Amino acid sequence: MDKSITINGKQYAIDVDNDMPLLWFLRDRLEKTGTKFGCGAGLCGACTVHVDGVATRACITPVGMLADKVITTIEGLSEEGDHPLQKAWLNNNVPQCGYCQAGQIMNAASFLATNPTPSADEIDNAMQGNICRCGTYQRIKKAIGEAAFELAKEVS
Amino acid sequence: MSILDKLGNDKTLSSQIENVSRRNFIKASGVATGGLVLGIAIPSKAMAFGGESKAAFNPNAFIHLQENGDLLLYCGRCEMGQGISTALPAAVADEMEADWSRVTVEQGDADEKYGPQGTGGSASIRVMFEPMREAGAAAKIMLVAAAAKVWGISSEECEAKKHFVYNNATGKKLSFGQLASLAASQPIPEKPQLKQKSDYNYIGKALPRHDQSQVVVGQRIYGVDTKMPGLKYAAITHCPVLGGKLKSFDKTAAIAMKGVIDVIAIDPLALPFGSIGGVAVVADNTWTAQQALKQVKIEWDLGENVTYDTVAYKQQLVKNVENPAEIATERGDLKAAFANASQTLKATYTGGHLSHSPMEPNASVVFVEKDKCEVWAATQAPAAIQDVLGKYLKREPKDIIVHVTMAGGAFGRKFKCDYVHEAAVLSEKLGVPIQLTWSREEDMRTGYYHSISAQHIEASLDEQGAVTGWLHRTAFPPIGSLFNPATVKPSKGDVSAVDNYPFGLPNFRSEIGEAKAHTRIGWYRAVYAIFYGFSFSSFADELAYKAGKDPLTFLHQLYDANNIDEQKEQVSRSKNALEIAAKQSGWYERDNLPKGQGIGLAVHYSFQSYVAMAVRVESDGENIKVLQVDCVIDCGQVLNKDGATAQMEGAVVMGMSLALSTEITFREGAVVNSNFHNYPVMRTSDMPHVNVHIVESEHKPTGLGEPGVAPFAPALSNAVFAASGKRYRDIPFKPMSV
Repeated sequence: MDKSITINGKQYAIDVDNDMPLLWFLRDRLEKTGTKFGCGAGLCGACTVHVDGVATRACITPVGMLADKVITTIEGLSEEGDHPLQKAWLNNNVPQCGYCQAGQIMNAASFLATNPTPSADEIDNAMQGNICRCGTYQRIKKAIGEAAFELAKEVS
Repeated sequence: MSILDKLGNDKTLSSQIENVSRRNFIKASGVATGGLVLGIAIPSKAMAFGGESKAAFNPNAFIHLQENGDLLLYCGRCEMGQGISTALPAAVADEMEADWSRVTVEQGDADEKYGPQGTGGSASIRVMFEPMREAGAAAKIMLVAAAAKVWGISSEECEAKKHFVYNNATGKKLSFGQLASLAASQPIPEKPQLKQKSDYNYIGKALPRHDQSQVVVGQRIYGVDTKMPGLKYAAITHCPVLGGKLKSFDKTAAIAMKGVIDVIAIDPLALPFGSIGGVAVVADNTWTAQQALKQVKIEWDLGENVTYDTVAYKQQLVKNVENPAEIATERGDLKAAFANASQTLKATYTGGHLSHSPMEPNASVVFVEKDKCEVWAATQAPAAIQDVLGKYLKREPKDIIVHVTMAGGAFGRKFKCDYVHEAAVLSEKLGVPIQLTWSREEDMRTGYYHSISAQHIEASLDEQGAVTGWLHRTAFPPIGSLFNPATVKPSKGDVSAVDNYPFGLPNFRSEIGEAKAHTRIGWYRAVYAIFYGFSFSSFADELAYKAGKDPLTFLHQLYDANNIDEQKEQVSRSKNALEIAAKQSGWYERDNLPKGQGIGLAVHYSFQSYVAMAVRVESDGENIKVLQVDCVIDCGQVLNKDGATAQMEGAVVMGMSLALSTEITFREGAVVNSNFHNYPVMRTSDMPHVNVHIVESEHKPTGLGEPGVAPFAPALSNAVFAASGKRYRDIPFKPMSV
């Protein structure tokens, strides 16, 4: 049996070169284009997905290493696009060009799962690897703060 | 008509609605001055008669109303994150009295029927605000006329409101959907009455973007995202030096790799927006193409620009502006002003090349068939793609179908279409649709860079500390060099913003120094305003200290000294923006700031708008932490307040990147920077608190996308000086050594 990978709840055979980064497996093989190519070197965060819940740069992660792993991309973050972060992004009208925002949201989602009550500095540290060239950082920070508040309400 | 002409010259733009033909019709003709005279004619029923639309009511290119009331609005200008595809349709919907919740927005393909589509120069709202409102108003009048006909009353007895037309006497109503078909046969109003500002539903409010819900679930489609059956993927590398040529390449190892289809050399296209030439690999997927490209052995003949070195070149530019140069403009008697001066001051300001580096690298899909050529690309200039591919393929530009996708940022870079031309070459050769995606490294190394620049200013002060004379020398390789390689210095037009700077400078001379281009120079968000804003506002601050005056008072005096009638408005609006920035930032209470903090001010007029900034920093002269920015924009009437605020927030971040850290360095003719590790753009921890203050205005709307960039660097420089006594005159202040 070929190696397989679970992406957004669905199983796929890893039928490409093991060295192919997950990013290109997603984009060119499966034609799931929500995960973006920004730098190809793990420098900008545009390609961030979750591997077993942990924010991971898909552009430098060989797909062959991910056999039996569970991957979540922006398309699978929530059923209805209603993750508290997605709602907070809409409330704050965060995106400008929007190209980096899938990576921003995925990175923030993984971060909030480990730190549900972050300080402003902790948000900065967690989001430092995600570049937004349009300059939406102020709104991203605000949206993460709001989403954390909502998530805390859901938990309690 | 040249590509430049297609930018559109809004000064000559007129818009009128006339039933010239039964087809949508835009008349554009170049004039001798290189401007564009454009009449937008929006005939009724055009599309319905042309059979091109299934909409029941399609009074013009922008409006498609279905019988169920769904309203599809087209945006002809290109969307790159600036929000234009929300703002312009909102103007249509407002005048039409449509319900925004029933609106879907589509991006228009390249087509003259949408008016000028070249999206740059912060011109979209300036150019399209009234035509869009007229398009909506005409549709409303026709819907009202249809309802009046149904009820057998006059239009004056009806009123349109939120997707319905009401009978004022009876209170009965008919929905826009019910009226759509009948509206299509109503006469087109000659000159539709536009609404009063107080009656706006959407214009001037904070409107959410139409596409955000797609963005947050990863469903918005960018230039890099197009997929189709049979698609093959390409990667490319370019000659590292402008003007260089491919000597030879060995594709043996690359072609042997699994999944590789071909390795193809791309010749330079002798057009300013075409490819500079390179070698591309086509494969089953992008990654394989990228890997195979590394296996291609390429030899370049690098050509004469191999000597280009930006460190040496900047020093040369400094020499060129610190010595007499060609006189552009003279006013008054500069010599006498200096002879009678109580004090004089001189300073030289420099700045480096910049790469736009939008998060989405250059990418496109092109399918060239025997009798059809189709393009999917993020672009700021759909007509330029038609021009370039038309010339390359020897076809009529109008036969090149260009689907304009969302751009993942552009900032001026995607006005050029080398990345589309290259995909067309590959598709033509292989007969399959090609998706070409540039690597980040190629995007950074093969740009159309913001000019490297030097400016030297000398001023004389009288005994009261007022400026009596101002000499301004400037040198930078201009964008004109892209169109005319014989260009060796800025033109007089390029320095007109210096000549017309709204300070009161009665004894004035501008001079132009030599600056031959050794790379491609392009429009970068804010363009020349970046270094003009930096030099004027920095030097004014330096002069204030020299004169022993408060910088804000000194700036006001500089403006007050301007007695040119035509500049009265510029003076008053600049001063107003400046004063708001000062008040909001705590300028007047700045003595209470903690030690090591300072506030700097700057105001700059560009793209017909006024932006003032007050930047508060903490700095010991070496370390710089930006704490707060108060940004004041006066751009006339604002279409979308939230969009305007977002543009200013973004402009601050781009201003910070270029002021502090981003610089493209050339060595031996080639760009040394390669990716975000050595082109360090601002990241989240750098973000100061930004307060945006929008000036309420009755003036016509003016530029918004770019004007916010220019005042940041000088305001920061002035703030660092106030905090630490250290003066930065070279941007970026903290270049990374690469």
